[in-house]
Amino acid sequence: MTTLSQQIINGLSLGSVYALIAVGYSLVYSILLFSNFAHGGFLVVGGYACYFLLTQYGFGIWISITGALVASGVVAIITERMAYKPIRDRTSMTLYLMIASMGVSIVIENIFVIVVGGRFRALPQDTFPHDLFNLGGNVTVNSFDILSLIVAVIFLGGLQLFLNRTRWGLAIRAAACNLNTAGLMGVNVPLLISIVFFVAGLLAAVGGIFLSVRYTLYPQLGGTITTKAFVAAVIGGLGSLPGAVVGSLLLGLAEMLTAGFISSQMRDLVVFSMLVIMLLVKPAGFFGKQVSDKI
Amino acid sequence: MAGYAEGIIVLLSINCIAAMGVSLLTGFTGIFTLGHAAYMALGAYTAAIMTVRYGVHWLPAIVAGGIIAVLVAWLIGIPTLRLTGDYYAIASIGLGEAIRLILENWQSFTRGARGFPGISSYTGRGVAVVFFTILGIGMFNLIESRLGRELKASRDDKVAASLMGFNIPASRMKALLISAFYCGISGALLGGYMNFIQPSMFDMMKSTELTAVVVFGGLGSMSGTLLSSALITWLMEYFRDISQYRMLIYGALLVMIMVLRPEGLLGNREIWSFIPGFRSNTKRRG
Repeated sequence: MTTLSQQIINGLSLGSVYALIAVGYSLVYSILLFSNFAHGGFLVVGGYACYFLLTQYGFGIWISITGALVASGVVAIITERMAYKPIRDRTSMTLYLMIASMGVSIVIENIFVIVVGGRFRALPQDTFPHDLFNLGGNVTVNSFDILSLIVAVIFLGGLQLFLNRTRWGLAIRAAACNLNTAGLMGVNVPLLISIVFFVAGLLAAVGGIFLSVRYTLYPQLGGTITTKAFVAAVIGGLGSLPGAVVGSLLLGLAEMLTAGFISSQMRDLVVFSMLVIMLLVKPAGFFGKQVSDKI
Repeated sequence: MAGYAEGIIVLLSINCIAAMGVSLLTGFTGIFTLGHAAYMALGAYTAAIMTVRYGVHWLPAIVAGGIIAVLVAWLIGIPTLRLTGDYYAIASIGLGEAIRLILENWQSFTRGARGFPGISSYTGRGVAVVFFTILGIGMFNLIESRLGRELKASRDDKVAASLMGFNIPASRMKALLISAFYCGISGALLGGYMNFIQPSMFDMMKSTELTAVVVFGGLGSMSGTLLSSALITWLMEYFRDISQYRMLIYGALLVMIMVLRPEGLLGNREIWSFIPGFRSNTKRRG
């Protein structure tokens, strides 16, 4: 019983970190309708920016985190401008975007391999609170888990407010329905897409910082995590933000429960079987639009 | 012949066989896969286990590698081929990674992540080239056959193709099975060349590479696939001295091709359709 509640809390905390990443991915998907494989790269950029600002340049934690978020967002915008925009300008096939994004993810990963080396790094342990406290019974919780849960809620809530209360939020929701029509209605589409990428990069950086505290930081971190964010987004429904959150939480729970009760080696296998089962039973996910192509 | 050149020829043949398989599925049928390295892994492990543990001759072992890949593809294909577009691509990532993880965790049978050593080097230059030639001739005949036209029709317009009376699900399944067979054979040959296989050799990166090669060459161009496969194999060898930068260059190349020439090297034409006066089926379709 103790293990169960402990693993549930761990699962929710891990899931909330996945949610930050999956929501950014889903946001891009909902506007441009392609799987941005470079999304994991943004997360790695955020992680490394935070690491170097903290350890190398000795900035405070808040400045380092802000710097990481901005760095990630800017890299996301640059990626979009340099790689995706020229492709969007000449063709409507999202396949090309998908392959270009694979190229970008390889480039980002290997820039880090070359510049900082492939070794594993850890953010300094005292950066974030790690005290254990008792939740009644024998359930002890790491305050870091609670922190990541709270931060994820704050950021996702902020995103929700941004999308629902601001003019640009309205424009983004309109573009999610139909990008071309939104453009005809006077929305500045290139700026809108840049904003979407900035937000996605920023959220990925938050997720990246938490993941590099929870595990370690290495250039290939993005690849594994993006795959999980895809799975979460598909379970929730591609392009649906609430879906991405629900899918991520489910995934985090499933992973931690598997690790706690079966074996931690089975975690990834469980993740992929969830993906396959979901695609078989309900390919559109819990909150997705119905797949129109029925043949 | 010098060992280095021989190595390149063997690798080239192996890569081309796998690329032809993926080209049939992605270029000619329009099913975008990101998990085909798993079929290579299945072929490689089948052949390795059969030859090392059961002392089977390498030739039936290679063929068995292809057949196991086909069987698994069939099991996987029944449910997943109903999916389209990004959904199949994402499902194929999941399935490919799942197969790799099973190979990695099935310690008693596959020796897990440490890899499977001691495979006899049965893939020489001769074997690789013979396999490549036979499979190549088969593939070029296939894409001009009735099935090939059916696949192209279903790629270009599914509704129209099914109105013409084609059984689209069945032909998509055939394309998947054949492509899995090619990848299985290619994996089995790779094991015989490297003498050592490891699950991490067949990860998502490898799958991406296979699909990227096909797109480089031009979707719907089999000779384009072979050309780009040769070009990339050679280029990767050429950059071996600056191996740190290899993947970086590879990624940048991928982006640049998509930006500058998204239709790939040859578009959807075969290479002989560029020769003046040479009429071919593929050209008339364009």
